[in-house]
Amino acid sequence: MMRKSKPKRQVPHNGRVSGGVDAGRAGAAPAAEFTPQIEIEIAGVRFQNPVWTASGTFGYGKEFAHLIDLNQLGAICVKGISPEPMEGNPPPRIYETDSGMLNAIGLQNVGAKRFLSERLPFLRTLKARTVVNVFAYSTEDYVRCIEILNEGEGIAAYELNISCPNTRCGGMVYGSDPRLTEEVVAASKKAARYPLFVKLSPNVTDIALFARVAEGAGADALSLVNTFVGMAIDVETRTPRISNVTAGLSGPGIKPVALRMVYQAARAVKIPIIGIGGIASAEDALEFIIAGARAVQVGTANFYDPGTSLRIVVGIRDYCRRKRLHLADLVGSLRIR
Amino acid sequence: MYDETVAVIENRSLTGGHFLLSLDAPRQAPGVRPGQFAMVRILGRSDVLLRRPMSIFDVQARAAAQAGSPRHAPAPRIIQLLYKIVGRGTRMMAELKPGDKVGLLAPLGHGFFEEEYLPRAHESDEILHVAGGIGIAALLLPAKQLAEAGFKQRLFFGARTKDDLVGVKEFKPQVRAMLLATENGSVGYRGFVTRPLEEYLTKHTNRKFLLMVCGPWAMLRATVELAKRFRHPCLVSMENRMGCGLGVCLGCSIRVQGTGHEAYQRVCTEGPVFWAEKIVWETEKTLGIRD
Repeated sequence: MMRKSKPKRQVPHNGRVSGGVDAGRAGAAPAAEFTPQIEIEIAGVRFQNPVWTASGTFGYGKEFAHLIDLNQLGAICVKGISPEPMEGNPPPRIYETDSGMLNAIGLQNVGAKRFLSERLPFLRTLKARTVVNVFAYSTEDYVRCIEILNEGEGIAAYELNISCPNTRCGGMVYGSDPRLTEEVVAASKKAARYPLFVKLSPNVTDIALFARVAEGAGADALSLVNTFVGMAIDVETRTPRISNVTAGLSGPGIKPVALRMVYQAARAVKIPIIGIGGIASAEDALEFIIAGARAVQVGTANFYDPGTSLRIVVGIRDYCRRKRLHLADLVGSLRIR
Repeated sequence: MYDETVAVIENRSLTGGHFLLSLDAPRQAPGVRPGQFAMVRILGRSDVLLRRPMSIFDVQARAAAQAGSPRHAPAPRIIQLLYKIVGRGTRMMAELKPGDKVGLLAPLGHGFFEEEYLPRAHESDEILHVAGGIGIAALLLPAKQLAEAGFKQRLFFGARTKDDLVGVKEFKPQVRAMLLATENGSVGYRGFVTRPLEEYLTKHTNRKFLLMVCGPWAMLRATVELAKRFRHPCLVSMENRMGCGLGVCLGCSIRVQGTGHEAYQRVCTEGPVFWAEKIVWETEKTLGIRD
């Protein structure tokens, strides 16, 4: 197709602009306006930006509709959906730690059918993409859940939750055994009508191994990390702070470890990585992107500061503009001397 | 419901480690309904992240700011939170000075909503408020609303010591009588407040009451037991640790009548106020709030 060629702006990829050092000086010509591209594409799906909300921290989206403009998010990863509704764990389910929190909710959710009829119609009206987190106790049930969800229109992708630490004989068993990871990812990929992302557990010795196994079994992308297994004890009563005894640790406190795992996974596989773990600012998000993540998810911060994700979108755009780089140029751009 | 950064007007120290925090919240105060709560965030701390859920004790207009409009009742703009130091979050709140800023998500939750209890209130001879300790904070606004509507009310208020009987002054004009109880007998009846309540209910078996209750789990449970025995309708305001107050973290869910994913309901969304029979009281003590 012939197109009238427009004069193209020079977009240097080394992060420097000729004459940039003079840009701020009086009398110097202002640098040409640079519009950074922060749209991304994963498995053929376009996302308007790389900032998503993490599963389990954002409900089904609507809960935040009167607090923030949902249309400005890259995607919403909904609360883990199982084939049947689940009641969750007895309370207490959460406990605050220094710079983080423990949770053992136990995946209380409305089930796949009611998700489709009651929650998906609203999500479909948004510019933000809908990523459906899928959870089950057996490979057959993961497949069954996906088969139910396949009936839904407007789902951007599935995020296979093989890493929830809070359900008995559940997800994490899959996420910490390479053979089971391969089995459930391969079966789910075969069943899935939409792209399949796999959410990895950080509770493993070698994250690169699991990243490679998931990639080999057909994952279209990897999201990591889920929560770290932790616990807290009330010494007065000598009882666990959480009824489930162990619980998943999240929040800014886990960020350095999550970042290291994203870096290792990104180096191990070719499929895109979605970085998660204690992200609460644009700088946090940029660290994950520079370490190799194509997108990021904001989790615990949604609980205490719902405006976080949108500030991160603005912050990433500002950073890219300042550095005169498109987002794609940043992904995995870590410089190691 | 709005998420705002608001200024502290006053953080008055009361007896027994209790404080009355007044926040300038012109956008949020007008929408407050009785029994609702607020989530307070201490700003500028990267170690203490989660907001603290607090009952909205009272809502007031700032007279000075409204001097120009004499014909209309001044719009409410101050949200008052009555709280006790119980952990590190409330300890930080106690340090707040006038002019300091806090994050305020309010108003939240399903409170004492008149459209749900008015028929029962009209059938009653008297509304009985039953408060345990800091639970008093949830009951003032419904009592004020009921007093304005001309309902007869009575307060049963129990706490550890007389220093823990805060909010009595504000409650007094709303009710015909107050019965106080302290565990150490420093004021009023010596022992739990459920004892004088039981005596009152026993003495007036021919009367109909509506109970509104807020307090610690054991006290709630004992009060609900009495309401059930004497067949009076009973509304309870529950508390729990909360992660978000928005209904998404599911951290504050409590066991209710129902099965499957309906076996739990969120204190922040379906609650904090429930009809007593909705709650499964036979479960273990599950609401271990320390912060």
